[in-house]
Amino acid sequence: MMTQTQTGALLHQDHLQTIAILQSLDELVGRHRNPPAVEGDVRNELQRLAATMRAEVEQHFGFEENHLFPEFMRRGEVGIVTMLTHEHRAILPLALEAADRAEAALAGGFDAAAWQAFRDTASELVEREIFHIQKEEMGLLAAISALLDPATDAALAETYGRVVTKPAG
Amino acid sequence: MFPGAFPAGAQDRLLPASIPYRFFGTAVVLHLAAWAVLLAAAGEVPGFAGGLGPVLAALHLVTLGVLAMTALGAAFQLLPVATSRALGPDWACRLSWWLLAPGVVALAIGMGTGWMTALEGGAVLAAAGLVVGGSLMARTLAGVPGLAAITRPTWLALAALLVLAGLGLLLVWDFAAGLLPDHVRVAAVHGLVAGYGFMGSLALGFSTVLVPMFVLGQPVPDAIGRRCAALVAAGLVLAAAGALAGLGWLVVLGGTAGLAAAAMHAIALAKVFKGRMRKRLEPFFRLLLPGWAVLPVSILAGMALALGVPVARLAPLWGFLMVFGWLLTVVTGILQRIMPFLASMHTAAAGGKPALLSGLTARRPLDLHAGLHGLAIVLVAAGILAGSPLLVRLGAAAGLAGAAAFAAFAIELARRYRAHRLSSLSSSSSPLATTKDVRP
Repeated sequence: MMTQTQTGALLHQDHLQTIAILQSLDELVGRHRNPPAVEGDVRNELQRLAATMRAEVEQHFGFEENHLFPEFMRRGEVGIVTMLTHEHRAILPLALEAADRAEAALAGGFDAAAWQAFRDTASELVEREIFHIQKEEMGLLAAISALLDPATDAALAETYGRVVTKPAG
Repeated sequence: MFPGAFPAGAQDRLLPASIPYRFFGTAVVLHLAAWAVLLAAAGEVPGFAGGLGPVLAALHLVTLGVLAMTALGAAFQLLPVATSRALGPDWACRLSWWLLAPGVVALAIGMGTGWMTALEGGAVLAAAGLVVGGSLMARTLAGVPGLAAITRPTWLALAALLVLAGLGLLLVWDFAAGLLPDHVRVAAVHGLVAGYGFMGSLALGFSTVLVPMFVLGQPVPDAIGRRCAALVAAGLVLAAAGALAGLGWLVVLGGTAGLAAAAMHAIALAKVFKGRMRKRLEPFFRLLLPGWAVLPVSILAGMALALGVPVARLAPLWGFLMVFGWLLTVVTGILQRIMPFLASMHTAAAGGKPALLSGLTARRPLDLHAGLHGLAIVLVAAGILAGSPLLVRLGAAAGLAGAAAFAAFAIELARRYRAHRLSSLSSSSSPLATTKDVRP
């Protein structure tokens, strides 16, 4: 992370929380080739995923696209906004699908097909989201530091506080 | 090469793909050429102590053709992103390639055959290409506040670039003129400034950005970057002065500073690894980690050489460990990660669903390259130590096969990129919707 801004620090914190979820999701699908019983640690992981993934991604992306990216666009930074928005479009459906599949498994368990579908979705989500965060940590946070004046940064941080609320994980 | 680029704003940081990929593609081709020439000249490697011929040509195909070529392509894309500063005009980046690429080829032909026109022309072109590229990097770095972990080593690398280019031209001129009092000593200084000063400092600086990004760890503190760069600078000055004056103890003093810098860098990266959020290490680390481990071995070999351990064995071993064992291993590791990384970024920037890294990367050629490259380093180093052309030949053959596998990876990457672009274009989507603010 390369940032000295309030907004960058808030987004970085979001990234840390999302990565923690992705990390445990990655470990969950890596541990089980066959459908696991939905109990104990597996149940806890699925509950955490279902409760937090949707909000983490929707709120984070919503803040960036509705509040941060317009500031970038006003300053002529079209390319990074286009690229990250396209990635959001690829990641968001995966995050929602993973959360939906986790909820379904909590209700009815995994059969072979459901587990395979969950693994495929989770694996793609982990890869896309981690790659996305790598780019945001290196490029976006540095660009925030370079582009935003302190007043805009403070206003964005205040907006973040209004529109992003952390669900209980 | 990559149609449908995104609409570029004045300060966009993603370069046209044709700029970095012309450098990377050239590096892949010259990587093959370097091992092929080394294979052909295997009998001359044990005991090599400088002078025109195919061994010198192979060495420069790696240093200029692979290492510097990759460094410029990566720096042009990485520095503006890491510093949020504009790089400079695209034409200047292209000009750098147009000077460097033919320059390296001509220089290698001249070195290999003794054709002085090619040698001198190639040297001038290559030096000019490096200076143009270095000027672009300097322009980006000028006025960047903070970020010493990357800016200090990069400034040091640029200073080393001027010295190595000047000494390189001097050495080429001396092949015809024969006026330098001790050509070998100047060549040794040229080698250590090029290896540890230019490429080493760049690798040091870039790894403080790239490694934390890839493992999602905390950045290397700027204070560490400053101290490392200072140690490397001190080590270079001492070792260069010692090599020129023939004072072994001074070279050893410089080497000690270099070892201290390497240790400080290793400790800083170990902390990054320890606190990383991404627990699973990606496959390219199997090259990065052993590559960095060879650095202190190469410094120790250089120190032993300065202290008068038999030259016939240690001179080529020092050069081989520094260039092939350390730098080539690290650079091919970085290259195999940033080529698909950048390709995927361009698929996102161009519109449509971004390509998955795993979908762009052919794993088998990279597995083959890693194994064959490691085998090549061990066999050639053993061949040099044992004075065995056969071992060197076997090692160079393994290196050539590894380079072919790496080229297969690059070709497959381009094919998969094009296929993804075509499928994205054919399923061209409607304008992007915006994610609404959502509260749970």
